[in-house]
Amino acid sequence: MFSSLFSVRGGSYSAVIFFLTTLGLLISALPVAVVTLMSFSAAETAAFPPAEFSFRWYEALWSQLSADESSSAHSLGDALFTSLLVAGIVMLVSTFVCVPLAYALVRGGGRVRAGMELLFTLPLVFPLVILGIAFLLIAESLALDLGIWRLVIPHVALVLPFVLRNCMSAMNGIDIEIEEAAISLGASWMRAFLDVVVPLMKPGILAGLIFALIISFNEFTITFFMYTIDVSTLPIWMYSRTVSSLDPAVLSLSVGIILVDVIMILIIDKIIAGRASLF
Amino acid sequence: MSTDLKIEGVSKNYGSVSALRDIDMSVQRGSFLCLLGPSGCGKTTLLRIIAGFEQATAGRLLLDGTDVSGVPPHKRGFGMVFQSLALFPHMSVAQNIAYGLKLRGIDKARQRDRVEELLNVIELPTIADRPVAALSGGQRQRVAIARALAVQPKLFLLDEPLSALDAKLRENMQIELRQLQRKFGVTTVLVTHDQTEAMMLADQLVIMDHGVVRQSGAPSEVYRAPADAFVADFLGTANVVQGEVTEDGAVAFLGMRAQDKALQLQGSKVEVAIRAENIGVVEKGSPERSTLGRVEFVRDLGPSVESIIAVGEEKLRVRSRASEVTSLSAGQQVGLKIDPELCSFFGR
Repeated sequence: MFSSLFSVRGGSYSAVIFFLTTLGLLISALPVAVVTLMSFSAAETAAFPPAEFSFRWYEALWSQLSADESSSAHSLGDALFTSLLVAGIVMLVSTFVCVPLAYALVRGGGRVRAGMELLFTLPLVFPLVILGIAFLLIAESLALDLGIWRLVIPHVALVLPFVLRNCMSAMNGIDIEIEEAAISLGASWMRAFLDVVVPLMKPGILAGLIFALIISFNEFTITFFMYTIDVSTLPIWMYSRTVSSLDPAVLSLSVGIILVDVIMILIIDKIIAGRASLF
Repeated sequence: MSTDLKIEGVSKNYGSVSALRDIDMSVQRGSFLCLLGPSGCGKTTLLRIIAGFEQATAGRLLLDGTDVSGVPPHKRGFGMVFQSLALFPHMSVAQNIAYGLKLRGIDKARQRDRVEELLNVIELPTIADRPVAALSGGQRQRVAIARALAVQPKLFLLDEPLSALDAKLRENMQIELRQLQRKFGVTTVLVTHDQTEAMMLADQLVIMDHGVVRQSGAPSEVYRAPADAFVADFLGTANVVQGEVTEDGAVAFLGMRAQDKALQLQGSKVEVAIRAENIGVVEKGSPERSTLGRVEFVRDLGPSVESIIAVGEEKLRVRSRASEVTSLSAGQQVGLKIDPELCSFFGR
């Protein structure tokens, strides 16, 4: 595959492409490679490059995860659970918002659509730190115990543009005549939506779900403003383990997360291969 | 089961733009009506109003005498074939055909029987479990027709359903469609911009332009006696040339005269429509000739020879049988034989 990619005519041209590709791969893969390498270090502290290799930090991670740390307010297990719960709710909420919204925007069309798209993309261009502060101010002024929703709501705002984009690009491919065909055969509008539109949007919906999971699960900046002792996520836990001195167990945890993320991205790629762009 | 349809004074405005103006027509039970017109003439809008996807600004839609204007599209019980065919890509052929039956709460066994019956009718008995994506263009076409007919529709509506097929397949499908329609005896309205298709299919032809009906009638009748120059020009290959009523009441055009034709016409300027196949090419010196022309272009198409012949300022398209003209060539002077009985005259 690579040889066909680089067999473009003209020697200097293919050399430039080769150089740029290698550079790009290096830049994107470098942190992953370093972290993976260091997670297998046998040393007491995180030093690069590691002199010897072992699984000790994976063992340390496992014992932290399996140990009963219910006494500790800020345990790894709790953080992992909260992260997954938040991501799960975010996936559900954003999908239930975006599927009808994508339908309305694509079918509605025109100026409304452009404006709404811009509006929902706003959290992306907003500086995350300021967004965190904004959400914190709102949450504090409410004087309510929001519980897990203190994290869910900002995360939803953050993933919405991605989920919406995916749903909309799936929706764009659905000819209105297909809906009308269902209606002409006797389906009410709602029935046609459920029988025809939603199944045809499925690839977009699934891709959006996985995006929501990855973004919410890895979110740090806003969560840093919003977390409390009771409601805290994995990235916050990891940060707390690196801020004074680097606990190499965090590195083995990241390798695990990277693995899960890669699997997710592969799934997205398979679902929407050749169908639509991710962004 | 099948019904007759009456359209009374239907108009449609989009803001200040009027898409349809005061349309009246009626379709007899079991007959096949074609709405024919250039793109943008309002024919598709009219079909969508009949289907219920658009609401008419004014007018009524009577189905067996009952006003259905206010009935939502999913309760009208019509079968429709769309331009894109709009098969459900996530369902198999059988699921597509059975969809309308499923919605009517018909039990599984009877759904299966009906699907099988329809697949036999469209002569594709073995494709029931195939995904729609695996079908050829002609197969999709038939499945779309079967899906619409499966629900035993009161009215069968088709929106340019054959436009995506290549010429040969389209011709075959036209014949098949007509046979299916006969077999089911269903009242049918088809929209097309293809005049050959309309002539091939229709019992009744409705020619539309700019949101109004220009002429309505049996295809042969409309072809032979067009109501105006637009219809003459749109249906078949007609030459519309300028003529003048002379003092003695004849019409002078193309250097020839037609007697008595001007009697019912007012004004001194007229338009004369002459079909390409009604112009005969004869020897320059032949006593049969009505006028003289110069051949500008000749193309032998096999069954016919198409030529463009200039008569004064006018350029005429002429279609001759290949056996009649053996040696036509560009630049040649020829005689033209035009029978005024086969020309249509319109006041301007």
